[in-house]
Amino acid sequence: MVGPTTSLTPLSRADGSASYQCPATGANILGSVNAPIELPGRRDALKPEDATVEVFIKPGTAPGGVGERYVEGIIKSMLGRLVLGREKSYARRGIVVTLAIVGGESKPRGDSYLTVLPALLQTSLLALLSASVPLSMTFSATVLGVNTLGEIIREPAPTDAAAATSLHVLAFSSKGHLLLNESRGSFDFDTWERIRQRALTICHGTLSGSPDGDVAMVEDVDGQPLEGVVRETVEDKYHQDYAWKIDAA
Amino acid sequence: MASAAAPAAQSAPPSLSLPPSQFARLQPHAYLLAHLSPPATSNQPSIRANGRAPSQFRITSANTGSLTHTNGSAVVRVGDTTAVCGVRAELLPTEDIASWSVSRSAAATTNKRRKLTDPTQKLTEEIGDESDLDADADDQSHIEDLNLLVPNLSLSTGCAPGFIPGAPPSSLAQSLSHQILALLHTTRLVRAEDLRVWYQPPNLGAEDLERHNESEQMDVDAEEAGEKDKEIKAFWVLYIDVMIVSLAGNPFDAAWASVLAALRDTKLPRAWWDIDNEMVVCSDAVSESHKLTLRGMPVASSFCVFEADAAAGWRAVIIPDAEEERQIEESNRKGVQRRWILADPDGYEEGLTQERACIVVDKKQGGKGKLVIVKMEKNGGWALDSEELRKLVDISAKRWEDVRQVIGQC
Repeated sequence: MVGPTTSLTPLSRADGSASYQCPATGANILGSVNAPIELPGRRDALKPEDATVEVFIKPGTAPGGVGERYVEGIIKSMLGRLVLGREKSYARRGIVVTLAIVGGESKPRGDSYLTVLPALLQTSLLALLSASVPLSMTFSATVLGVNTLGEIIREPAPTDAAAATSLHVLAFSSKGHLLLNESRGSFDFDTWERIRQRALTICHGTLSGSPDGDVAMVEDVDGQPLEGVVRETVEDKYHQDYAWKIDAA
Repeated sequence: MASAAAPAAQSAPPSLSLPPSQFARLQPHAYLLAHLSPPATSNQPSIRANGRAPSQFRITSANTGSLTHTNGSAVVRVGDTTAVCGVRAELLPTEDIASWSVSRSAAATTNKRRKLTDPTQKLTEEIGDESDLDADADDQSHIEDLNLLVPNLSLSTGCAPGFIPGAPPSSLAQSLSHQILALLHTTRLVRAEDLRVWYQPPNLGAEDLERHNESEQMDVDAEEAGEKDKEIKAFWVLYIDVMIVSLAGNPFDAAWASVLAALRDTKLPRAWWDIDNEMVVCSDAVSESHKLTLRGMPVASSFCVFEADAAAGWRAVIIPDAEEERQIEESNRKGVQRRWILADPDGYEEGLTQERACIVVDKKQGGKGKLVIVKMEKNGGWALDSEELRKLVDISAKRWEDVRQVIGQC
């Protein structure tokens, strides 16, 4: 399985940015984060001790519609729970996440948006890391489809997603919590349990915890676990940025 | 703290004269927590501030056919949340569809294919509506491609203090409209066949054929030819408008129930293609109109998670691992509860919680078949995992029975 292509801080003007390309679903997302900034429309009466998270999504070929509002709401409530909005200099201020869908299929009206949702989530996480916004934990997200034969397809292509009986987006935190679940189609709970197990493997790999609490990520049929992709992206960026120091040593 | 709201304390006046309603406004989190975890000495049951048990839904009532100018309408009340839904049908002539002549050829081929597989279909039809789903799979795209269902939800009615009447649709209203549309598409509730207006040209050649040859073979052929000429002249477009008249939390459940009840109530007049006027005309006789035949009856139930620790949302440095969490949960089963899953949250509870779940379930064959989950969402926290979700699905199944009775009665 070919893993996603990522890059950290491709934009120079934003506080933080990231790009994410998922070869399986064809999604190509560019995200930027500005934080902390003063929000003009913010009402102080509303949670004065907390930061506000705003998410904007721009679809590739059309102006944003009701579908985008819905996905913005999902991402906002998920990130709102992870961002430590009470840290110094964040209270009463805004964290603005902008995600542009650069490539991939355009979404028709009334589409569930589930196939691009994991890519949008991963991009927003990388962009938040790039802007060094304090987070309580990181996460990784994936989409799984179940076809008419009952087989689980990982990150289905648009044609597979259209033919699938159910689609599931799951996000797991770096500590193994189920952070988000969006399931559509018709399925029963046992199917979902299988989906959850598979998604956990995709995000975290087959866990082999050592006694000192360190979790080793092992590669298997699903390739590199997505949690590792996030780590590696950040590691690579650090290697690049500190190349002068490493070379000098 | 807890005694301020407890009825037992009302008989003996507290030293600090603060009525419960004020306490609820000043310390909302502590107020709800005091209700849910009363002191062990008081012998009070754990109950929500609104008097419901954690997994209890509000009283639901429904009334259909309230609006006279619509094809179907319903008013659904879930506690103090009230949704009014009206369905209006409008005709969309196929000549007004720009891409129709292109897509029609595709439709013709699928028609032919269906005719070839006809004998097998008759066999499978008896098994159940599963085969019917497969058969309709390709023409379902008519509903999605031509946007034959147009739901809209309006919150700008002065339904709650936060929503200014006459304001542009808020992002909540927009996302609710989208959720209704997406759910209509995924459940495939409305059949495309109900929305089509067919035209069968008179078979002028048939008489000739019959005079020539009385054999059955020819008759069948003539029928085949007639079937092939049958064409769609127009579609019904259903405009489904939901007005939330009063909002006290959980708008989606009420809105979806009202859409469901209104669609069950919807009657479409008999429409046919008038070849002389070259237009579609409708009959105004009520007896000739037909009701929609819906696929199943999906029912939505929403939940929220109330955390006992008010700082759980942001004091995040000490979040335990998922595994540790499970162990804490086990050990705490007898002791102090850390969180409550509240069904059908009202406005007060929604303001105090971040984590939400929404489950839409349906049962096949009018409730006797097995339970099917149509949509399962969970967002905004990490308290709900598979174990909790399994319980919520069971609660939703019970809720399905209740809502079916309410909607079935009207």
